[in-house]
Amino acid sequence: MTALVQARDVTYHYPDGTPALDTVAFTVAAGERVALLGPTGAGKSTLLQSLNGLLRPSAGAVLVGGVAVNDETVTAVRRRVGLVFQNPDDQLFLPSLLEDVAFGPLNAGASRAEAATRSHAVLEALGLAAAHDRAAHHLSGGERRLAALATVLVSQPDLLVLDEPSGDLDARSRRRLRDILAERREALLVATHDLEFVRGLCSRALVLVAGKLAWDGALDVLLADRAMMERFGLVA
Amino acid sequence: MSFRHLDRFAQVRSPVTRVPAAGRVFGTVVLALATATLPAGAWVQLGLLAAVSLALLAIAHVPLRVALARLAWPLGLVLLASLALLVVMPGEPLARLGPVAVTAQGADRFAMVMGRAMVALLPAVLLVSTTSFPELLQGLRELRVPVAVATALGLAYRLLYLTVDELERLQRAARSRHAGGGVTRRRHLITAIAAATLGRAFVRAERTHAAMLARGFRGTLPLLHAPVWTYRAVLNVAAVSILVLAVAASARLP
Amino acid sequence: MAHIPDGFLSMPVIAGTATASLAALATAARRSRAALGEREGPVLGAVTAFVFAAQMLNFPLGIGASAHLLGGALVAVLLGPWAGMLVLFAVLLVQALLFQDGGIAALGANTLNVAVLGVGSAGVTYRIGRAGLGETRGATVVAAGLAAWISTAIVGLAVAAELVLSGLVPLQPALLLVGGGHVLIGIAEAVLTGLLVDFVFRTRPALLARRTPAARGDRIRVVALAGAVVATVLVAVGFASSQPDVLETALARLASPVGSGLTAAPLAEYQSPVGGLWVAGAVGVLAAFLVAWGLTIAVQRRRP
Repeated sequence: MTALVQARDVTYHYPDGTPALDTVAFTVAAGERVALLGPTGAGKSTLLQSLNGLLRPSAGAVLVGGVAVNDETVTAVRRRVGLVFQNPDDQLFLPSLLEDVAFGPLNAGASRAEAATRSHAVLEALGLAAAHDRAAHHLSGGERRLAALATVLVSQPDLLVLDEPSGDLDARSRRRLRDILAERREALLVATHDLEFVRGLCSRALVLVAGKLAWDGALDVLLADRAMMERFGLVA
Repeated sequence: MSFRHLDRFAQVRSPVTRVPAAGRVFGTVVLALATATLPAGAWVQLGLLAAVSLALLAIAHVPLRVALARLAWPLGLVLLASLALLVVMPGEPLARLGPVAVTAQGADRFAMVMGRAMVALLPAVLLVSTTSFPELLQGLRELRVPVAVATALGLAYRLLYLTVDELERLQRAARSRHAGGGVTRRRHLITAIAAATLGRAFVRAERTHAAMLARGFRGTLPLLHAPVWTYRAVLNVAAVSILVLAVAASARLP
Repeated sequence: MAHIPDGFLSMPVIAGTATASLAALATAARRSRAALGEREGPVLGAVTAFVFAAQMLNFPLGIGASAHLLGGALVAVLLGPWAGMLVLFAVLLVQALLFQDGGIAALGANTLNVAVLGVGSAGVTYRIGRAGLGETRGATVVAAGLAAWISTAIVGLAVAAELVLSGLVPLQPALLLVGGGHVLIGIAEAVLTGLLVDFVFRTRPALLARRTPAARGDRIRVVALAGAVVATVLVAVGFASSQPDVLETALARLASPVGSGLTAAPLAEYQSPVGGLWVAGAVGVLAAFLVAWGLTIAVQRRRP
């Protein structure tokens, strides 16, 4: 089976020269669920943004479905790799929820009727149907997070990339989001500090420490090894 | 300036709200233009246009109390602005108030300006009472405002709430640290808050832009809703516009 | 900020200003797109939201009065005049349609005054100021403050000219009340804009660096232009301050920041003629401004 996403020695320097990622290499297969762990500033968000072409590696390459991400392929890549940002407010920018969700399909050339139908279906599936004509500032924190997820799910990506999805959610919303993700068939890559959120949801873990991939293996094994977790800065 | 009332409309279905937002904006502009350009002394026509606006307010089920409340503030501004007319016009003094004299010519202009201003505000009140911000945006886009302006307003709507939230957070944080303080200090504080808000607005714009790109944005906001123009809506807008224009034209007949 | 309500302007003025605004906005839309590209939407959205939000903040001026930011010069400094025009037009549009702040029929005139002339003159003044004074922090702040002051004065003069052309008020009181009032309001705007630009310069200089510096070759023309604009404003201030009541009136306006284009308080003794010299002077000020404005447009065309 070909890898869905392949990072080949991805290296990234910020425009001011600060290194953020250093020869990071891994693959994610279709349907696989991977947790991306690491202390703050380890380069998690940078890595996520390079997976769908928002950032281009200074060296190395990202391949999606065997195709290298470049200016010609980036539109197709963004349809296959759906990125849910850390702050839902950045992702919900239109006056109503339905318009936010339909934004991706419309950009991809779907007709208005088709975009509306698909958006309604996704909102229905996430239990947000009643809120479709509301603006995001009239939604609760948990609803906003689901809404951000909806804006990505509607494009039917092969890989869902989530940046800190459980941050500032109350217990019930967190549980609900986790249940929803557990039922999805897309591959998942979840960057988080919330170890309990990914325990049981993801089978594999990648650990980034100071821009380098420090661990690539089973999540259970990692979570069971307290000494290693401390060394990676994942627990105090 | 408070903007939160923008979301608190009585969303009542009526023949007015069945007209697409573009039609409502168009009708409002026609009414306001016709009223504002009435020549001096066209009191009959002014009364007729006021009647048209009031009838539309009634058809839209806007309570008179709400309409009057919405009229009060802008009318106060107009009054403030036009009071000077009473005294700056040279002419026969009607009454003396201390050092200034109200002239007949001044009173004449004052009455004309106030009358036109008041009647021209009615359609604006009708629009704001029947149309939400998102609907208005949709209407403006159909009426072909520049794409950049429509995009800016479309994004500004959400950003406004986030920006004001941020502003209030910063103000609370600043207040909790510096109780009191002199004018200079307060000025520095408010400048710092405003500048920080500005900086954050830019950061947010960059992040939003990334989120838009991630979903295939290529520079133009796509439009989801096609306007639903029924024959009846077209007829209604046309009938009101023709009536209004006929009244306006009659004021210019010799 | 000089929002003319409906009822004040005549049909020809409404039609003329609307046409001029449409033409200017069409140009602005083209130029802004060229300058900002696909980032245009998010950036304009953010600044539009900021201008709305900033108008809710009251800055104490230290004379028992406070004012809120109008923002014309600030957006010109941050975005350049073309994108700045679009932002202020967006603000005016929503204010007219949803806040009843400024008339709907008068939108063309308000756009011409505040968005086109206000932002345009601020952009030109800022550019001239930076070309003449340099790119240091002090020079940037002074140039921005000067831009705010001059642009506010030009907005006031434009409002006055429209009221006069509408046959509503005689030239002289219009210039004194509206133009003179704005020369004074402009001081507050200059202080606020200067403070904000100073803060942005210290904390986020990248926001200001988007502006391209003026070419060196036409320094002489730039200095002459600056001289002409400053001289006309000084003359206008001279007129305004020689009439003490105007000062008082304008100060009263500053105390109540939600103002409109016209001053409320009655002026003393307008029935007494003040003489042909005044009228000639006032016409001269207006003419000088128009000439200066034409020159600025000519200079700007040469340096896209």
